[in-house]
Amino acid sequence: MPNQGVTLTTQILTEACQCVESQLGGAKDGRWKTALTYYRPALREASASGDLPRELLGVALHDQLGSYYFLLRAHRLILQADSSMQALMDKLQSYKPRVVLNFEGFQYRLGDFQVRVGKCVPSSEVLRGIMMEVEYLPLSSIEKSRQILEDFFDIWQDTVKKRSLPGHFILVEPNFADYGLQDHYTPQHTAVQYATCMTQLMAAVRN
Amino acid sequence: MECVVQGIIESQHVEALQILLQGLCGVPKERVRVHELCLKSGPNLGVVPSEVRLLCDLAQPTPSWTVRHVGGAMRGAGAEQISVLVRTIVESKVGHNVLRFFYSLGYKLDHELLKEGFVFRFQRGAQITVTVTSANKMPKLYATDEAVPVTPGIQLVEITAPAAAENYSEVVAAVSSFCEYLAPLLHLSKPGVSMGIVPTAAAAAASLMSNSGAKTL
Repeated sequence: MPNQGVTLTTQILTEACQCVESQLGGAKDGRWKTALTYYRPALREASASGDLPRELLGVALHDQLGSYYFLLRAHRLILQADSSMQALMDKLQSYKPRVVLNFEGFQYRLGDFQVRVGKCVPSSEVLRGIMMEVEYLPLSSIEKSRQILEDFFDIWQDTVKKRSLPGHFILVEPNFADYGLQDHYTPQHTAVQYATCMTQLMAAVRN
Repeated sequence: MECVVQGIIESQHVEALQILLQGLCGVPKERVRVHELCLKSGPNLGVVPSEVRLLCDLAQPTPSWTVRHVGGAMRGAGAEQISVLVRTIVESKVGHNVLRFFYSLGYKLDHELLKEGFVFRFQRGAQITVTVTSANKMPKLYATDEAVPVTPGIQLVEITAPAAAENYSEVVAAVSSFCEYLAPLLHLSKPGVSMGIVPTAAAAAASLMSNSGAKTL
């Protein structure tokens, strides 16, 4: 989140990456890209949307190229499918993509952590956000790894402050149970995190 | 894309067909038990109506779901001349909450069927799948255990093979060629173009059964 009056720029992203590399000693491990697509129902009569969901979110995750995830936030529903599901929805023509957001950047290895830092760019190419994804590799239990990840986040905040980055990172804490997801972490949890991250980002931009 | 032909056969001749297919394919048959739900878009959803099929494979210990969209058939003079239907098809494996997902999107259940039978999958000029099933309807919603045949005494035979724009003519040729082997027992044609039951089927079936040493119950 940039400080009041500060415009989000790629310079801030570069500085965040340098924090990971220089201050924390992260080893660059390649690039990553996740795409979020907002779909809206195509209506025969625009005024009569009835019970139809106003928004359907599709997520293509960086490390799950053969899969695609659909989220209906209003119904707290997440559907896992093959990547061909995007083409299938396209054939149905009942829900059409309206906005595509690309999250892309570099990933780093820091000991037992894998860190991804990247920008959020809609198709208009105006930088909308900078986000960071931290994965603790040894554990799959959300509860067991909670403290370790919170500690990592505290270290990250201190590092960023010392670097005088003109903004701060906000921790995204989705309610996985709402979507019927269990304690064992899966790519579906990641998809829910991206959806929640976007909700928070859009709320922050509006404010 | 896929190439597809269909035909019907009397249930009393299915065992003979199975013997013939076993000999031609050289692979063991697999059991088919699929709960098929056909969903259609609600009244205001989509500029044009759309339809999607959810297939729940009940033959495995853990049911698995696939969603399938059958697109339009290839058109034109070339398409008229071939005896095999070539159509677009998109499929995806999906999670078990797919029905709730499509209901939430505004799709409604149009009809459901339970298809039971067997399938042979093999390579013969193309990756060919031959499915022989009886279609059963449910007296109550989702009641697969209470299903009864839609057409007692008649089963559907469907032959499909995946194809692409670059190779569909070879796939059509492979499917057509394979169909000729089954001609004594059944007519195979484009879906929707019914050719009925083959008059020589009984004799052909009897011949197959006596040659194999099998007995018809």
